[in-house]
Amino acid sequence: MADNRLDTQIEKLTQAIKLTQKLRASVTKVFTDLSDGFQAPKGDEKALLNKLQKSLTAVNDNLGDLEKLAPNIHSTTNIPPLLLNSVGLLGLDPATDKSGITTQLHHTHKWTNKVHKLGDYTAQFLGTNQLKRTNQGPAGQAKRLRRPEPTIHRIPENINIQQLVASVDRAYADMSVSLIRPMGNSTVLQITLAKTLKAVIVLRGLLIEYVSIKAYSEDFLTDDGRPDIWSKSKYQVFNKVTDLVTAGTIHFYHPQLPDASLKSFLIWLNNYKTLFSAPCSKCGKYLQGFLPPIWRDTRSSQPLHDGCRQ
Amino acid sequence: MGVVCVFACPVPEGKSGQQVVDGLQKQVEMMGATKSGNFLVDCETYQSNPQNVTQTPQQCVVNILHNSEHPASCFSVTESGQILVSDLLFEDLMSKLTMAKAGRESFYSQRKGFKIESRGQRYEVGDFIIKIGSVSLASNFRGILIEVEYCPCVILNECWNMMKELLQSMVGNSAETPPPVLKHKPDTVYTPSDTILQYLDHFNNFRKAVSAPPPSR
Ligand SMILES: [Zn+2]
Repeated sequence: MADNRLDTQIEKLTQAIKLTQKLRASVTKVFTDLSDGFQAPKGDEKALLNKLQKSLTAVNDNLGDLEKLAPNIHSTTNIPPLLLNSVGLLGLDPATDKSGITTQLHHTHKWTNKVHKLGDYTAQFLGTNQLKRTNQGPAGQAKRLRRPEPTIHRIPENINIQQLVASVDRAYADMSVSLIRPMGNSTVLQITLAKTLKAVIVLRGLLIEYVSIKAYSEDFLTDDGRPDIWSKSKYQVFNKVTDLVTAGTIHFYHPQLPDASLKSFLIWLNNYKTLFSAPCSKCGKYLQGFLPPIWRDTRSSQPLHDGCRQ
Repeated sequence: MGVVCVFACPVPEGKSGQQVVDGLQKQVEMMGATKSGNFLVDCETYQSNPQNVTQTPQQCVVNILHNSEHPASCFSVTESGQILVSDLLFEDLMSKLTMAKAGRESFYSQRKGFKIESRGQRYEVGDFIIKIGSVSLASNFRGILIEVEYCPCVILNECWNMMKELLQSMVGNSAETPPPVLKHKPDTVYTPSDTILQYLDHFNNFRKAVSAPPPSR
């Protein structure tokens, strides 16, 4: 009986494929006709319209047939159709599938990508419509036209991230920046700033995805010596700094100039070398709520307490 | 392990040591600090018997200190400030050296009435650890030591101004400059030995003042 069911199932699938092919053919016909023109006597618009209507009806009929068949075909696995790519295979462990976490992760991933993409386009449009009184002139316009497409997470070919990191590393004697690629393509920057702090920055292309900051005396390892970039610092001050610096990455985010955005972020991060030694530029004190001035202004680089920022 | 500063807190005339300690504890609790147990730093002093230690004709002194913050370590400091950090097993060696054997005098002997310690309440607030200790020499009250540790930082010069703000609210102007013992290494990474040297410096000062009558408890 199971064989019988499988047979009908296969039959239905074959039918569906055939119907899809038919639909494809009829749609193609509409578009080729529209682009190449109909073969009809001149001036006879009515005949033309009739022909178009005929082919559109054919499309409609084919689509109707396919839709009628669709509910009868059951998915052979529990994987939602959107997961039927290599990512979907990650979630084939029945234990994790039950929790639905793979599906959720996949959705989140797609959603974040979409947000980044839309954000990039928005930035592009807003950038071209700046409310500036002075005319930028032809030079500025030409520059604007040469702007690359939003990169999101792809490193443009003309940017060498190794060189970029090396140039920052060389420019600041008290800041050592090294680049590691733990999983081949992904990029992780390891930063030691003076004897004040250590930081790990995870990049996706040139986009800063994750920042973690710890004390100079801490390391990014688990107790048994394996790398661990997700654990938090033991100290309040560095957890607050991590939060604020993560907020800072959004300030420096620039989809059109990803290399400049990463570089200016690193230069701004360099200001944190005075985390413990600089007084607040507003109230002049060192401590506020047992914390030093943990914010560095993004324009003036001045140290400020969290409570003195406004 | 961060930077530690130890300062003596003056006991004003007409007040007992316990009253000052109580006042300080109340003040620290008002700041929002939470109690996190007790602490103890103790120091024993040994001196060599010159007839057995022939290389150095003059008497030499070794101080053995323990710090409850580093419970598995034993710190030995000579008069010149040389410091050795070792396991607690070092004590066994020291007790061997202080044993008289076959009619001969031991290599080292413990100085009587020299045991000095600072013990009291340990507090945590933010990334700071505050310890308020009463110092007693041969179980007589001698004074008060306040220890403040700022854990995230390892360089004294970087966080000194921050610590000063906190310290001055408790011990006043005696915390105007960093502890004298740390003057020679303001920019190097702070180690637990530096804490021990600070305590030893204070303990020596308390011992020197021993000729004066002890303040009432
Ligand atoms: Zn402030």
